[in-house]
Amino acid sequence: MQYRQVLVMGGRGFRPEQFTESLRGVCVDRAGLVYAAGDSEVKVFDAQGRLVRRWKTEKPGYCVALSDHKTVHVGQAGQVQQHDEDGKLLATLRDGERLGLVTSVGLSGEHVLLADATHRCIRRYDKDGKLLNDIGADNNTRGFLIPNGHLDFALDGKGVIHAANPGKYRIERYTPAGELLGHFGRFGARNVEDFPGCCNPTNVALTAQGLVVVTEKAPARAKTYDAGGKLLAFIGPEAFDQNCKNMDVAVDSRGRLYIVDTARLQIDVFALDESAPASGPTAATKRIP
Amino acid sequence: MGVAHDRWIPGKPRGRFLRGWTWLLLAFLATALVMPASVYSIDYQRPVEAAPNAKDIGGGYVTPAVQRPLPRAAWWGAVDAALLLAALGASTWIVLARRSRTWLVALTIGCLLYFGFYRKGCICPIGAIQNVTVALTDPTYAIPHVAIAFFFLPLAAALLFGRAFCGGVCPLGGIQELVVLRPLRVPRRMDKALACLKYVYLIAAVWYAARPAENRDFIICRFDPFVGLFRRTGSAEMLMAGGALLVLGMFVGRAYCRYLCPYGALLAMLSRFSWRNVTITPDNELDCGLCTEACPYGAIEKMRAVRSSCLFCARCYTSCPRERVRRHEVPAAPVGNAPVGPDQ
Amino acid sequence: MARKAGAADVWQIDPTKCIDIRLGATGVPVCESCATTCVLPLSAVRAVNDYAKCGRCCICPAYYDVTSEVGPDGLPTRKLCPRDAIQRTPIGKVDPSDPLNNFYEYVIDESLCNGCGRCVMNCKEPAGLGSIRLEVRHNLCLNCNRCTISEACPESAYIRKPARSTGGSGAPT
Repeated sequence: MQYRQVLVMGGRGFRPEQFTESLRGVCVDRAGLVYAAGDSEVKVFDAQGRLVRRWKTEKPGYCVALSDHKTVHVGQAGQVQQHDEDGKLLATLRDGERLGLVTSVGLSGEHVLLADATHRCIRRYDKDGKLLNDIGADNNTRGFLIPNGHLDFALDGKGVIHAANPGKYRIERYTPAGELLGHFGRFGARNVEDFPGCCNPTNVALTAQGLVVVTEKAPARAKTYDAGGKLLAFIGPEAFDQNCKNMDVAVDSRGRLYIVDTARLQIDVFALDESAPASGPTAATKRIP
Repeated sequence: MGVAHDRWIPGKPRGRFLRGWTWLLLAFLATALVMPASVYSIDYQRPVEAAPNAKDIGGGYVTPAVQRPLPRAAWWGAVDAALLLAALGASTWIVLARRSRTWLVALTIGCLLYFGFYRKGCICPIGAIQNVTVALTDPTYAIPHVAIAFFFLPLAAALLFGRAFCGGVCPLGGIQELVVLRPLRVPRRMDKALACLKYVYLIAAVWYAARPAENRDFIICRFDPFVGLFRRTGSAEMLMAGGALLVLGMFVGRAYCRYLCPYGALLAMLSRFSWRNVTITPDNELDCGLCTEACPYGAIEKMRAVRSSCLFCARCYTSCPRERVRRHEVPAAPVGNAPVGPDQ
Repeated sequence: MARKAGAADVWQIDPTKCIDIRLGATGVPVCESCATTCVLPLSAVRAVNDYAKCGRCCICPAYYDVTSEVGPDGLPTRKLCPRDAIQRTPIGKVDPSDPLNNFYEYVIDESLCNGCGRCVMNCKEPAGLGSIRLEVRHNLCLNCNRCTISEACPESAYIRKPARSTGGSGAPT
């Protein structure tokens, strides 16, 4: 499996399709429209990278997610705002002091899962805004270890939460009730399949086939694993600005990757290159002793 | 007895004294102008809310404070300035009143140890020329009080009593003073020509210090030959230059002081107008020339100390027969100057 | 117009210019001028860890050389500091069965640190949190008129700043 870069969207500048200060979240809908959260705006791009719509959010957006009903959820500091697909504000979910910086939003049926980076856990709310339970808060570090200040997770079709725990160098799987099902990944700088540096992986997304896509920082790169933790493909550091941190990633229905370059303020689109064989060494999942 | 040397006797001491003082006062006022300017600061803020706080870490952990030690407290500068004043007073009293070389050597060693090896030769009045220059030319430059004191106190002493600073106080002079072994006589013309070098150095130092910050260079600090010895560390060039000057100083007394020191240039200029200065013989000269031979620095002409060159080393009168009589080191000759006894 | 006489200026490193500290200068060799050009035998510049901003990570990229081989305990085998000046101690609630999940305090022994800047460069964002910075220690610095490090600094990052009137902790001026 191999990827090649096909498109670049956004960029740093003052034109309508560009960003000036920050670009943090990205998600893709089934039609191929790309929603990007950055500055204090949400910008919608079509599959060719042209700006379709944009609207302002109350605070700078850190992540964006789409529900089946085409509502756009934007995670911000202390709140999540829901907009319809034209940008009209529908609702705001706040929880007082309990909800900190929301860096990832996942939608599972009627429930909303919010990654709370301030309190280092994933909070599950029902549609009325009532807190159901926390996920990941009761381990021996009293939460996820996120020195990067960004907690990211992805939901698969069965509702299982795949969360990136960068301080422990692994991807962990939880049930919605908070029970740990398993994890894969370990620290290492020599093998491509390991997670190098201080705190990696930073962000995670799932493909339709259940493959796990992660992005890392220092060196900034992206990798694709199968569900068991075997490395299938990687996009090397030359594709990204090495000053990037917390690069959000989204996958569309065709398996294309949309990765946010937080330094250049652009979205890099990578498509599967069908011709190349599998790259990277094979490795069984190793649990950290 | 002796020829009247009108040139060397101060003609109008009051007039020259006042002229010198007004210049000094004006310069002091200019430096001490109290006009606060804006202070810039660096923006160190970085939005890192990701670090775990003590609550996250648990277990009774408390985030330790970062130690940021302060520089030497400002009142130590006052101590230094007070010690400098005391040393200047002591040097003046020893050389002009007490007239004893032993005491002077003791003072020299003491000041060498304190200002030289303990304070590592910094801050010194020679370098303070540059600080004062920058303070006058750069509005954003802050000059500490101790630098102002170190610049003006020896100059004030020079205006009053002569180069008292050079005598017992200056550590650079002190270290050279202690290695004088067999001083050679430098021919008069060469001595005068070389002495002009210190004025060139002074002008160059002021020029480089007066330039804007990007081009500014403190050449006195850069070419200080003895600071490497005082710090007991430094680049090979600095240490070798210092060592070479010391070796030279064994045979050419205080070459740096006489020919290179920019502050010496200022002191030489002011010392000419001093109110009191070194006198060699208590009453009349014998024209014996013993003082001229004793002076390692060629600062005696026609049996009088040349005010601008006299470095207050006290060797001249300690070898003057009249002075030795006064101190009862030798018995006095009876009236009539007829030699009696074996001690003559 | 002269600045108020009697103030004292000291040398300090401008973090927006120093290569080792400033953001954006990643993947470049470490500049070690502060360690090599000071007139003192052990430079007056030291690496200082701002504990409130430190991530207390188990595998610190400033303590360990994270490109070295990983040992059997899951930690890198080589340390980064050439003078071994950083001490690593577990803090907080220690879980002995799962050491990679504890928090660790990183303390720099200033009697060993010579201000070479390697830990600073590796702690800098995005690799770390940027809590370690090079600072001129004012109780050691001779406050030369002509600082040799400032002459040698390739980025002219040395500036004169007013000395702080209070000591102890807090944000540096």
